[in-house]
Amino acid sequence: MRPENYEAIKQPPSNEFELNFGPNHPGIEGNYAFRVKLNGDEVLSARADAGYLHRGFEKLMEGRLWIQNIALVPRICVPDPVPMEVCYSLAIEELCGLEIPERAMWLRVMQLEMSRLAAHLFAFGGHAATTGMYTPMFWGVADRDLILDRFEELTGGRVYSIYNIPGGVRRDMPDGFLDRLGTLLDYLDSRLPDYDSLFFRNQVFIKRARDVGAMTQEQALKWGVTGPNLRATGLAFDVRRDDPYLVYDKIDFDIVTEPGGDALSRNLVRRAELKQSIRILRQIIKHLPSVKGAVRCPIPNPLAWNVPAGETYTRVESSKGELAYYVVSNGGDKPYRVHVRGPSSMHAVQVLEKLAVGSRLEDVAQIMFSLDACPPEVDR
Amino acid sequence: MSKELNLWLDDLLKDIKIIQFKRKNSRRVRIDIAPEALPALLELLQGRASYVHLSAITCVDWIEDDEFELVYHVWSYETNSLVSAHTRISRDPGVYLSVYDLYTPAAFFERDIHEMFGLYFEGSPDMEKFILTEWNGPPPMRKDFDSEAFVNQTFSWEEYHPQWLKDIEAEGGGITTRPEDVR
Repeated sequence: MRPENYEAIKQPPSNEFELNFGPNHPGIEGNYAFRVKLNGDEVLSARADAGYLHRGFEKLMEGRLWIQNIALVPRICVPDPVPMEVCYSLAIEELCGLEIPERAMWLRVMQLEMSRLAAHLFAFGGHAATTGMYTPMFWGVADRDLILDRFEELTGGRVYSIYNIPGGVRRDMPDGFLDRLGTLLDYLDSRLPDYDSLFFRNQVFIKRARDVGAMTQEQALKWGVTGPNLRATGLAFDVRRDDPYLVYDKIDFDIVTEPGGDALSRNLVRRAELKQSIRILRQIIKHLPSVKGAVRCPIPNPLAWNVPAGETYTRVESSKGELAYYVVSNGGDKPYRVHVRGPSSMHAVQVLEKLAVGSRLEDVAQIMFSLDACPPEVDR
Repeated sequence: MSKELNLWLDDLLKDIKIIQFKRKNSRRVRIDIAPEALPALLELLQGRASYVHLSAITCVDWIEDDEFELVYHVWSYETNSLVSAHTRISRDPGVYLSVYDLYTPAAFFERDIHEMFGLYFEGSPDMEKFILTEWNGPPPMRKDFDSEAFVNQTFSWEEYHPQWLKDIEAEGGGITTRPEDVR
């Protein structure tokens, strides 16, 4: 029964439809969503939808003491929290003109590389899961847990260590820590061939990931891509070498590049960086006992600490790319403004929106994991 | 090569009267420039001096001066140095030009600043809400937005005292709250 004035809406026939991909989806990294427009299973356009993790870090930091924020910053990136602490501490040290002891620098680099190892294991494990291979994910998470054990021993915290404070690190290593770290590195090193045969040289993975989410070097530079994703397009750039901080200029390591620019290349870069991080940590184990002295320089009473007025932009290389903090002080006991530039704020939004177009629906999650996007860095 | 190009930058910029040039160290340069000249400066830096990577755009709310400070951090992969270009614009009406045509990543930062500070960028491709999709209040990162006052106005404090806790307390257990901790 239709009313008399009924008139069907005229529109051309269409096979297009919109799909909400996330925020509660096993293939997506964290609480993050996409609105994808599809024709069949081909993605016509993708639109990032963030905000599910917004905790207002930048505003919260303006209301807390400089030292209190140390407990806040690692929460901005869950899989790789140490670079956050180090970058924020470096900013305060630069504003105050503090010179931190050399031993503290080596301890920081040690944690940074441990954190990078843990984050890379997590990243390619997640990627494997999106292609239907769950074993590498379980292996990666299990091996990451062994690194977290060492974090627990060193800092007391497994994920958020809150160990780096302005002026150095909180305390020195426990006795025999370096030996146990060395044993762990030997184990991880022996696992790499297993990972190769299970995942990185697995034809299932190679066929799935080759030419998926590919970008050229020119596009990567234009879109603000950094870190392993940029190195996967063939550009040898690393903040650790080209804008050195702490003691990275005294450490010998290679910058690994891959020419492809696709999901496969990005994973191969991470695979090679595991090796490089192990190499850096072995140098640290060798060198650290010869660096004596304090692990912290004297700082004012942290509860009544007025950081001199000024502004600074500090950058470090996190496992995801270029991480930077812009910190402004007006001479008070709290920051006037802190801006967090997370690498994923580019990768998870603009770059992913562009790379997803033309791909198939089952590859969207794969592209996101191959970019190692970390949604909390977008939401902050 | 890197050193030569850096010095070339010093020579290039020292003759321009409307900008203040300050070298912090060999890799960090601070430039203060008038807002009308900033897009031209960025175009110069990108086209002539290889500063192709826009690392970030930061907005700082200087409420006492009634101004927003915008900081454009650009990085050169050739000379390995970072230029931070600072400019100040009036808080009211808070409108500025987009640099999206020079740097693609600017779209994200401009959208973020628009959402958090209420600053509008003319020519930016996308000014839609992103993170605060269900927020209708004033831009929250402005200094005149007081988070604590907002929370007290919007939400009411409630005593959490469910029946199961009352039962436990009747048997002599439960959470003990000191009188001075009761809000």
